[in-house]
Amino acid sequence: MRLVRAVFARTLEAAACVLAMATLVFFALRVLPGDPARLLLGDQASAGELDALRATLGLNQPLYVQYASFLRGLATLDLGQSLRHPNVAAMSLVTRALPATSALAAMSVAIAAVVGTLAAVLAAGPFLGARRVWVERAAVAISSTPLLSFAPLATYALAVRLRIAPLPGDPDAGFGGLLLASSLLALPLAAHIARVGRAALEDVAGAQFLVAARARGVSVARTWMKHALPPSLGPILAVIASQLGALLGGAVVLERLFERPGLGTLMLEAYAARDMPVLEGAIIAAGALFVVVQAAAAAIHAAIDPRVRQ
Amino acid sequence: MTSTRMRNAVPIAIVVVGCIALGVGRDPERLDPSLSFLSPTASHPFGCGEAGVDLLALVSHAVLRGAVLAAIVAAVGLVIGAPLGAAAALRRGRFERAIDRACDLVQAFPSFLLALCVLSAVRSPNRVHLAFVFSLTAWAPFARLALAQTRVLRSAAYIEAARALGVRGPRLLWRHVLPGSMRILAVQLGSTAGAMVVSEAALSFVGLGPRGGVSLGSVLEQGVACMLFAPHVMVVGALSIMVTSAAVISAGRAIDS
Repeated sequence: MRLVRAVFARTLEAAACVLAMATLVFFALRVLPGDPARLLLGDQASAGELDALRATLGLNQPLYVQYASFLRGLATLDLGQSLRHPNVAAMSLVTRALPATSALAAMSVAIAAVVGTLAAVLAAGPFLGARRVWVERAAVAISSTPLLSFAPLATYALAVRLRIAPLPGDPDAGFGGLLLASSLLALPLAAHIARVGRAALEDVAGAQFLVAARARGVSVARTWMKHALPPSLGPILAVIASQLGALLGGAVVLERLFERPGLGTLMLEAYAARDMPVLEGAIIAAGALFVVVQAAAAAIHAAIDPRVRQ
Repeated sequence: MTSTRMRNAVPIAIVVVGCIALGVGRDPERLDPSLSFLSPTASHPFGCGEAGVDLLALVSHAVLRGAVLAAIVAAVGLVIGAPLGAAAALRRGRFERAIDRACDLVQAFPSFLLALCVLSAVRSPNRVHLAFVFSLTAWAPFARLALAQTRVLRSAAYIEAARALGVRGPRLLWRHVLPGSMRILAVQLGSTAGAMVVSEAALSFVGLGPRGGVSLGSVLEQGVACMLFAPHVMVVGALSIMVTSAAVISAGRAIDS
């Protein structure tokens, strides 16, 4: 019963977040200074053309009517047709772009979690001896270098000079392209995880239960991986959850850099063309993705750490 | 620690100031198509970009404009966030929890989506619009820090003494609590400004930035487009973003020491 209530409360919170953002997009596109029809058609448009477009978009109706039909469209996942591609539903463009971005984000979180946690264990544990400070220094260096700077430089080195990675914009990049993009996106997150994970591991390093495990004859590596790591996963998950927003921004930059199709590319194209239904759909989808993943991180945190559940 | 920080900051500062001083007198909008994608030479130390624009001029103007934007946003964030967080911690109770939660939400929220929402209302975004968008979220880290710092300070003896003397409300905040948090806030001032330099570059890299192209992001965008035959443009763009954000962050640390 408590579990059901907890899941219900989370779902409600997530739905409220998505609704709030959808409302923000709606009003940003209509209420803020700037006539959407004029933004779309430019200064040379005639009054007739402007009126026709306003009728298509429902802009000539009172705001509350527009908002009601927007909410209805949101509930039925039908935000109307794309303005740039006539006869294509905005939502179908969004659902076509969603898998690419989800794959990129999921793969970078997975890479970052594995690499970051391993680096944290190496930086906190006794495996590297005095050299372990270098792990921490590398993490600091990476997390203070902007992704925007090192991603193009790394791409140039790997794709143009060494030719071991596909070039940006290569349509046959396939898995290699995904791997390169998600590794680059994962690096700052991995550095964050390494730093926080190291601090969390050092907190439990002197704990009695580790001494007890060693006394029972458990090997050093097993003590760290099986006994010290689980109580430190909470802060690591918290870092991942707090960096998801930055990850999404990074995904947009990388999609642009590698000319990969995806939600970010779709948003930028829709923004450039003022394709309002698509822009709304893409922003809401990205926000929903963000909210769902964050709720999932909280749920996993509760599932593996009994201290969070009460 | 302090002296190492200063020693690290000085060479960066000299390089940045030197490049800006050399480049700021040049015109970032003068085009000379015969010099298109020229590699670095003595008269064009950073080389030339698309349509022969001098990259030293472009970069130094872009750095100045970006740094001014970043400084303004960070100052706005400090002025809104620090009193808010400190007041929340002094008030305690529901207000404190609400501000704490709001900081959580704002800091985790994808700022790119917010920027896209707000910027879609204007035809061509300029730096004022960008400053507005960034200020919407820039207060959160300052509020969070002031909140945490005030939680420690509010039980300090000198705050209790001030309270016992009858100092209340805003006066307690301005005269007693905030000065005690200033050092940590100054460091945050630097790292917020550094993040803003990168954000502005990122937005103009993906095409949401100021039109006209005098921005670090558009240098990088140019560089990525001509990566195969003129890699120096991309190297100049990427390194100038890195160096500028590092310089701004270490400026914040220098205030601290």
